[in-house]
Amino acid sequence: MTQPPRPPRSAAPAIELRGITKRYGRVVACDGVDLAVRRGEIHGLLGENGAGKSTLMKVLSGLVRPDSGVILRDGVPVDVADPHVAAGIGVAMVHQHFSLVGALTVWENVVLGEGREGRDRCDGGLAPAGGQGAHKGWLAGARGRHGQGRGRLRRDEACADVVRVGERYGITVDPLARVDSLSAGQRQRVEIIKCLRRDPDVIVLDEPTSVLSLAESRDLFAVLRRAVTGDGAARDGAVTGDGDLPAKAVVLISHKLAEILGATDRVTVLRRGRVVTRRATADTDAATLAREMVGREVSLGEEAAALGLTPPILSTGAARDGAAVLEVAGVTVGAPSGVPLLESFTLGLRAGEIVGLYGVEGNGQSALGDVLAGLVVPDRGEVRVAGEAVDLRRPGALHAAGVGVIPEDRHRSGVVLDMSVADNLVMTDLGPVSGRLLVSRRRQLRHAAELAERFAISCPSLDAPLRTLSGGNQQRVVLARELAGSPAVLVAAQPTRGLDVGAIEGMYGELRAAAARGVAVLLVSTELEEVMALSHRIAVISAGRVVGELDPAEADAERLGLLVGGAVGDHAATASALVSGRASTVQAGATGDGR
Amino acid sequence: MILDDGATILSSAIRLAAPLGFAACGEYLAERAGTMNISIEGMMITGAFTAVAAASATGSATLGLLAGAIAGLVIGAVHGNASHRLAVNTFVVGLTLNVLALGATSFFNESMDLTGHQVAQVSIPVLRDIPLVGEPLFVQRWPVYLLLGLIPLTWYLVERTRWGLELRAVGENPQGADVTGIRVNIRRRQALLWCGLFSGLGGAHLAVGAVGSFNDNMTAGRGYLVIAAVIFGAWRLRGTILGVALFGLADAMRLALPAVGVKLNSQLLIAAPYLLALAAMVLVVRRTRQPAALGKPFTRGIV
Repeated sequence: MTQPPRPPRSAAPAIELRGITKRYGRVVACDGVDLAVRRGEIHGLLGENGAGKSTLMKVLSGLVRPDSGVILRDGVPVDVADPHVAAGIGVAMVHQHFSLVGALTVWENVVLGEGREGRDRCDGGLAPAGGQGAHKGWLAGARGRHGQGRGRLRRDEACADVVRVGERYGITVDPLARVDSLSAGQRQRVEIIKCLRRDPDVIVLDEPTSVLSLAESRDLFAVLRRAVTGDGAARDGAVTGDGDLPAKAVVLISHKLAEILGATDRVTVLRRGRVVTRRATADTDAATLAREMVGREVSLGEEAAALGLTPPILSTGAARDGAAVLEVAGVTVGAPSGVPLLESFTLGLRAGEIVGLYGVEGNGQSALGDVLAGLVVPDRGEVRVAGEAVDLRRPGALHAAGVGVIPEDRHRSGVVLDMSVADNLVMTDLGPVSGRLLVSRRRQLRHAAELAERFAISCPSLDAPLRTLSGGNQQRVVLARELAGSPAVLVAAQPTRGLDVGAIEGMYGELRAAAARGVAVLLVSTELEEVMALSHRIAVISAGRVVGELDPAEADAERLGLLVGGAVGDHAATASALVSGRASTVQAGATGDGR
Repeated sequence: MILDDGATILSSAIRLAAPLGFAACGEYLAERAGTMNISIEGMMITGAFTAVAAASATGSATLGLLAGAIAGLVIGAVHGNASHRLAVNTFVVGLTLNVLALGATSFFNESMDLTGHQVAQVSIPVLRDIPLVGEPLFVQRWPVYLLLGLIPLTWYLVERTRWGLELRAVGENPQGADVTGIRVNIRRRQALLWCGLFSGLGGAHLAVGAVGSFNDNMTAGRGYLVIAAVIFGAWRLRGTILGVALFGLADAMRLALPAVGVKLNSQLLIAAPYLLALAAMVLVVRRTRQPAALGKPFTRGIV
């Protein structure tokens, strides 16, 4: 385990990746990527889904071994063989989805996994500050008496430490709460505290704002700014003596232009595994970055939403009349850990309209998707299609009633990756392609060929396993299958997640076309821009219930942000929302240029 | 008379529950780390046989106990390495080891001439004269008192130490634990070794503590009862020990009821602990929350 010397402020970048190449079979995820991140800067890593951002950062954090290339830490080559080495050299990653243990409390999660390396680092970074008795005692106790990182846990001291680190950077969280019971935003705060407590030199955040409301995103960027300037340390009386808490380097991975423009100092753009450009953020603008990211001219009108910019309102807000086709009435779904996932959720959809259900991730969207896909039977409430209540306990009842679903996680409940494209296309409805006993392969292939043609699914053959298709084409298979039965309702849950810009545009077109044909479309999305671009009506979900409904014409990032955050008073009201602020100015400029 | 009968039943309940208790402390810890350790039956029977064989060879029942514990440890090591390094399904490994242990112990038992040994009985003066509970609690073979220390030790390790915290994290979210810098499969193997050590000791205690000799298949599914006890206890140590006590009591009834003149179908009595375990699991399993990653192998990167 190599621990390079830590020069206080060397000229070498805090972390540098040189010529990193990683192939998965024939796909090149990273192709000779160079990236240098200096102390004291927030470095944006921008790219479409599939551009290689996450692979690159997995290489840096030891989860993936590169095929070639070197990593230099303060100019010293290091071999990051696994996550433990990464932690040892002071590289910490804030993972979005899988690093906290739900059954444990906040403080337990924070102290978890602090092996010997972690403690030595604390020793070098924080402990010499002296002064603060409790803090020093905790470290000294942990190091001295407990040797190998075993030993007794000191709950009170750990809790005090959580609070103290939180105060230093302006994050509040209850150390005794069980992580299960926290919202997604609060969980991320725990992640950040856990990360900062180890005093890393390099912090990597992978798409951190997908689970945050606007106000929370703004807070996060403020915390990061404090971390890179070392500002937090100066304001903490106990550590002032030290004064020289080394500035950190932050890598912010994102596919959203507005975030990159608003929060970073320098930016590196990746496209198809290669570095397209690297420059100071101040020297660039949204249109340039968009072009570099996508590789062609992008009008920031129609496509803006796909790039994470707030689009001008394109959809006509003409409210549709008529009876509701889909009514979700008072649906409640309990959770094993107490807090209900959905609580008296009520929403109606009329024919031919797209209703955008916007909210921060983890507020019940998944449960709603599962209910409408027939995977979960709600504790209370009912779902009515065309006025008739559907018996949710019967498998396939919703599908038979005319509800098509593009599930949130297509690999979990949308497709069978190892079955053929043709099989996947007919899977939910065998009626038209089978007799009483046998499936007619001829009819199945004809049916599949028709769908593949109509939805422009490009695949080597209809018999190829679905696994061989790109994400965008897999999603088209799901869409084609769900629309093939001419449903009255289409539920599209996070339909563009993981798709590249071209595929996202295609999906938008299909959803609009479906609505134009009279299908009632429920678009469940965490992407504000997407919801604003497509919806005739926007409903906001928070903590498992609809907290407000808006016309897109009167919706803006501020108002939606307020609703999403459960209107948390002055906090959100003052949220001049860094992201949206920058986005809208950029927007104005860009569209002005474009027309 | 009733007091005497009660004391006899209690006494034999504790005697019969003790082997389960040792093994339960091990299985509980292994399951909190995410390993459903099926091979516990094999650990117990191997521990039982090795204990008798070692006691017969050395003439010391205490050395027998020690040898039994080590035999269990070896099985734990085999299990851990096969399922982590060779990546064989942990249930397949467990079942194979169980069948192998049953066959091997029966074979060696046939082919060797073993003499019985039994560890010393502790009898605490004054306290043993308390009516009803005096004799059951204060006249027992000495490993029973070792168990009284092992239970709080297990609890402390799991709930209050850094090692225990890491074990629990590994059992709940191995991917998260991995990126946090915990070596998931090493923790799981450590838990398996702990389980092997005390399951072996449990089997050894059954042979050289409670019974005093070895006979073929003498554990008779007690390992599975221990797994049932952990489920019954909803993956909490207190509940697990309660389950063990309950199964011990049912076992004691089986022996005691005919002796005190209650006529019941003998097959039913023999089946009683197992039926009780089944009933308990059906009743309990609905409201329990097992470690989220229980029985799921860990490979880096698969989410």
